[in-house]
Amino acid sequence: MQIQLHGVVPVPLKDKFSKRDSDLWNTSVTFLPGEWIKIVAPSGTGKTTLMNILYKIRHDYEGSVSWDNKDLKTISRDELAYLRQQKVSVIFQDLRLFENLTARENIELNRVLQKPYYEAGKIDEMAEVVGITHILSQKAGVCSYGEQQRIAIIRALVQPFDWLIMDEPFSHLDIANTNKAATLIAAECRKRNAGFVLTDLDEDSLFPYTKSFSL
Amino acid sequence: MLNQLLKKIIRTGVGPGRFIMAAAGLTIAMLLILSAVQIQVNYNELLYGKNNQDSIANFLVINKVINGNKRENTLSKEEIEKLKQQPFVEEVGLLTASRFKVSAQSPSDNFPFYTDLFFESVPDKFIDVQSKDWAWQPGSTTIPLIIPNQFLDMYNFGFAPSQNLPQLTQTMVMALPIVLNVSFQGHPVRFTGKVVGFSDRISSVLVPQNFLEMANKQFASQAEIKPSRVVIRTKDPGSPELVQYLKDNGMVTDADKTRFSQYRKIVNTIVNASGITGGVMLLFALLVFSLFIQLTIAATKNEINLLITLGTSPKQLQRFLVKQFLPANVIITFVCLAVVAILQYVLQGYLQKQNMHISSLVSYYTIAAAGIILLVLWITNVSTIRKYIHQTEK
Repeated sequence: MQIQLHGVVPVPLKDKFSKRDSDLWNTSVTFLPGEWIKIVAPSGTGKTTLMNILYKIRHDYEGSVSWDNKDLKTISRDELAYLRQQKVSVIFQDLRLFENLTARENIELNRVLQKPYYEAGKIDEMAEVVGITHILSQKAGVCSYGEQQRIAIIRALVQPFDWLIMDEPFSHLDIANTNKAATLIAAECRKRNAGFVLTDLDEDSLFPYTKSFSL
Repeated sequence: MLNQLLKKIIRTGVGPGRFIMAAAGLTIAMLLILSAVQIQVNYNELLYGKNNQDSIANFLVINKVINGNKRENTLSKEEIEKLKQQPFVEEVGLLTASRFKVSAQSPSDNFPFYTDLFFESVPDKFIDVQSKDWAWQPGSTTIPLIIPNQFLDMYNFGFAPSQNLPQLTQTMVMALPIVLNVSFQGHPVRFTGKVVGFSDRISSVLVPQNFLEMANKQFASQAEIKPSRVVIRTKDPGSPELVQYLKDNGMVTDADKTRFSQYRKIVNTIVNASGITGGVMLLFALLVFSLFIQLTIAATKNEINLLITLGTSPKQLQRFLVKQFLPANVIITFVCLAVVAILQYVLQGYLQKQNMHISSLVSYYTIAAAGIILLVLWITNVSTIRKYIHQTEK
């Protein structure tokens, strides 16, 4: 699946980007299947906005975004649900876990939303890798941000996907944990031949990126 | 597994107290409407059921009101035609009157009597007397007669004691030949009359129709006269419409038989009122239940939003939510139906003792009503859920 952007600019940032150029806003870009894409940008330039547009939870933009040549604005609810279950997974910057569910339940929910891609045991395996085995039966609401972020990462990895959208996925992790999580993400993407789009504030060498953009 | 997780997510939104209140409202409304339907069915069964029928009451003799202003109070052809077309009238039989003078007297001096008389005839199917002697062969001089039961009563309990005469049984009267003298051009023509039965239905001296036709043709001293009385057959002599129609058209019948219509009107009103109350209650209950669903969805707006963001399809969510609410509806419907069934059984036993017969089982109408209500509930559930999921979704 490829992702295309044509002259996309969020309405609130329109004035700002009519005065200066950007690698992504107001231009045409194609993310080819399997590409590992890094987007670097300082705060307030619309990283999260871009991720939300790509994942179709924001619609206040001009231009068009398409998944496999299908304009996101015309996609039906059921199609969207299908694509989110099978083709596109996401790690939000603000994590978005169900606070009343345990860590395991949060992950499990995304595993069983569609025909499971992995057996339930895979959750423990991944939790082991990123070091959150001990909090799996705790309510997500009482976990630290660092733990919640790792829960969100595993949640995104238990479903099938062609693209993984990650919005500052390591913002609450130390270097050691960041490396462990990045290794897991890279392995899972390779397994699926999947591409990803990752945003961050700074350059890094956690992944062998195929493309890099700045906003 | 998915459903268990969804349950955990949604349940946090609304407590069980509200759910119980909504369910209780629905139960009460459902009970009311189902019993209203069952009461209506019972009521109709009491009115029209074979076991509760009174055959005498189904025939009414109708005539114009006599108010002294007119010499003749006859029923015109149009009036009779109109009467025939009324929904409460099943059949109309004309009472034909004799147009000649006739007298009756005793053949024996032991028991002397003499009276001037008249005849009327009516189609046989309107007569409540079954007798093989009720037939007249052309040429025969023996005429079968049917007289009102009241005649015999008047004689036995009024006339006979006052005149020091013996009281008579029906059999004795039927054994007694009567000399009938029909006056024809000033001369008497002699026939023998024989009482073959006593009518509770028609208070007149009846002779077979073919005899009266012949006699009217042969002996008539006056032009044909319009009928002034008719017999109608009706399913429901207590019908308020019938009574109203008679009143509006200046007609009367035996008031005793139609008196029931007054009570009927009152009971009708009560039964209808209970139906309307039930209907209104049901509307409220539907409202309460759909408000409850709205509340549940509104209270879990954020959770539903996140579920959809993570890729839950609206269809999955709808199916899940319908599964949360519909079983309660189904259970309530069955409980209400069971309660109505028990009440019906108890009522049947009670009415049986009063000699009123209704079925001991709930009617098909009640079951059908329950089915329809369930369908309406299902539609309300599904449409409310669909509507609010789409509203919740950004």
